[in-house]
Amino acid sequence: MKSFAKKLNTPWVIVLCNFVIAALVHAILIAEFAVSLGLMVAVVIVMLALDRYGIIHALFEAYTAQKKTAIISGIFLVIAIPISLTNNNYIGHIATMAVIYSIACLGLNFQMGSTDMTNFAPAAFMGIGAYSVAICTTMFNTSPWVGMLLGMVVAGAFGFIIGLPTLKTKGYYLSLVTMAVQIAFTQLIYNLPAIGGANGISGVPKYALFGLDLYKKYTIAGIKFAPQIPYLLLCIAFLILATFVAMRVYHSRTGLSLNAIAQDEIAANCLGVHVPRQKLFAFVIGGVFCGLAGSLFVGLDSYAGPGSYNFSKSLMLICMVILGGMDNSIGIIVGAFLLTIISEKLRDFADFQQLVYGLILVIMLIVRPNGIIPKRVRNYCGVSCRRPMCAAKAADVVEESSTGA
Amino acid sequence: MEMFSSLLVSAILMGCTYTLVAIGYCLFFGVLDVVVFCCGDIAIFGGFSIIGAYTILYSAGVLQAVPAFVAVLIMLTIAAILCAALGLIAYQFSIKPFEKSSTLMPLLSTIALGVVIKEVLGLVFQPVVNSIAAVVTSVDDPLSVVGGRNPQAMPNLIAGSGSTDERNLIIIAVTLAILIALFLFLNKTKIGLSMQAISQNKELALMTGVNVKRTITATFIIGGILLAVGGFLLSSYQTIIRFDGGAMYGSKGFSAAVVGGLKNTWGAVIGGMLLGFVEVFTAGYIPGGTQYQNIIAFLVVILFIVFRPEGIIGEKSIEKV
Repeated sequence: MKSFAKKLNTPWVIVLCNFVIAALVHAILIAEFAVSLGLMVAVVIVMLALDRYGIIHALFEAYTAQKKTAIISGIFLVIAIPISLTNNNYIGHIATMAVIYSIACLGLNFQMGSTDMTNFAPAAFMGIGAYSVAICTTMFNTSPWVGMLLGMVVAGAFGFIIGLPTLKTKGYYLSLVTMAVQIAFTQLIYNLPAIGGANGISGVPKYALFGLDLYKKYTIAGIKFAPQIPYLLLCIAFLILATFVAMRVYHSRTGLSLNAIAQDEIAANCLGVHVPRQKLFAFVIGGVFCGLAGSLFVGLDSYAGPGSYNFSKSLMLICMVILGGMDNSIGIIVGAFLLTIISEKLRDFADFQQLVYGLILVIMLIVRPNGIIPKRVRNYCGVSCRRPMCAAKAADVVEESSTGA
Repeated sequence: MEMFSSLLVSAILMGCTYTLVAIGYCLFFGVLDVVVFCCGDIAIFGGFSIIGAYTILYSAGVLQAVPAFVAVLIMLTIAAILCAALGLIAYQFSIKPFEKSSTLMPLLSTIALGVVIKEVLGLVFQPVVNSIAAVVTSVDDPLSVVGGRNPQAMPNLIAGSGSTDERNLIIIAVTLAILIALFLFLNKTKIGLSMQAISQNKELALMTGVNVKRTITATFIIGGILLAVGGFLLSSYQTIIRFDGGAMYGSKGFSAAVVGGLKNTWGAVIGGMLLGFVEVFTAGYIPGGTQYQNIIAFLVVILFIVFRPEGIIGEKSIEKV
């Protein structure tokens, strides 16, 4: 296996791998419901099989070693996917939603994945972002960008306020607090006539950049593009930014101390981790991410209503994080994509949507509680992973964690 | 004064319905150290199974043959058996696999199971396609009364066509009877005592020969019965039952349990009553408060969690390293 892992470590393998992933995403997006569901199941099974032989781990190593190639080819393909959707409104819509949910899930992961604090209110944070854009544009006639900034600030502040009780509570109590916040938030926006009540706010202006409308049909070189495509590109740009920030946090001291709190709060405290500050940080940055996602969401529908930010939406986001793999940015994006596509393609069977979430969550928790791409073992040998000792140790740890869990 | 007394009555009624589900949470938490979040959905399942039993038995002519009191008892028994079975299923599939993992896992799995129960209820008590619905109504099938995702009308079973006062009195009486029975069960029977023993110290209970497996099974059966009665009383009090009402009912019940102190069964009674009073009096005395009663109730709960997490009559637990 070791020699095989070494073989992976060439630029061409990385480019090929990126291309395969992009082609798969394209195929899953474009295909009919049954075909795309089959593809998704096949992808998940193949991933699990690869993970069993440690190839996913080797791939991650290879990606880290060939960072530049991976990033450059990846960005090319990421821009190519939206363009390849051309005039397909509905698929463009689904892809944009998947990207937005990925951002929200990355935010939720700071609390659920990294710090092991249950947060049942990510949809409330999203709602804050969405409503601040809607209120700023329709009532104060400002640019939606101002609303987005404001939404991120307010969601971060809200995260701070919700984070305060977490300093004193944990476990079930914390989950009850966040649940209560989520339900109270939904009830509040349902019942405030000033912000539209049950009807919500419709007719929110779309985003525009340098005078260019980002939600408009463009015809470039004779090819018609769906109105969602430029907006999808914008959302992808934000997702890349969010992933970058999330990964930086994960690899930083802060990310490490968040993990330490998740393992054992008291031990972390004894080792000099400032527990309250780190917990509040997790809530604030998570709130900012979710606020960003919400403000992007409103740009897609140009409507902000209470129904989009209720408890079941929170549950859906949690489901995505668990399905993909907690505390692994790539895994979370995979989970968000899979679940968004499943649920959007299940639109025709709207009554079964929630049931499918519930069943996926139960089955996932029983069969593979760590998610499709589980948390990786932190590797502090750094470059020295080329040393056989370290690689062997890391492989051992991986095997232990995959069999032990 | 007129208004105050009527508010008082409805607060007590509300408190009664919350109390039962809160006791369910307390029992499960005491024995398993796990919060079973699908309690609300199990209770709603109880309410729906009463509606189902009512329609089936009514069309079979069983209910007309016996006195009203016996008829209600029959249906309540059916609902209790079904809820106890559902409780055991919940234990098998969403709690037992996660006994050794972190607290997050059983929490999420029970919530997910609650969603499954809710959605299955919504699907079963709803004609799948409109044309089928039309067929069902045309043959005047009693089940069509039950159809639709809209709120279901709960047949006023406990008082027949009697007044609401009679109904209210019966709700309070049933709750009191259940509480007394529970008190006797917990303190006088062997299984009740072993439930208390496990709740106080699981290792010691194991060493002194308490049959933990049997006790857990018994707890889920007792809890299922309590939840069935709770769902029945709730739907009788509100006169309607919604398939998606479980999340709200469950979180209110859990809130009541937390306010009272999660490990203390009698704290749940106080917590439930407190929550009922807060809700009803907010709705009654604050202008426009009806819309905000849930928000204020949850605010009270958050304040309790932050400032007195051990509950009203709970003991402060000191974490040992």
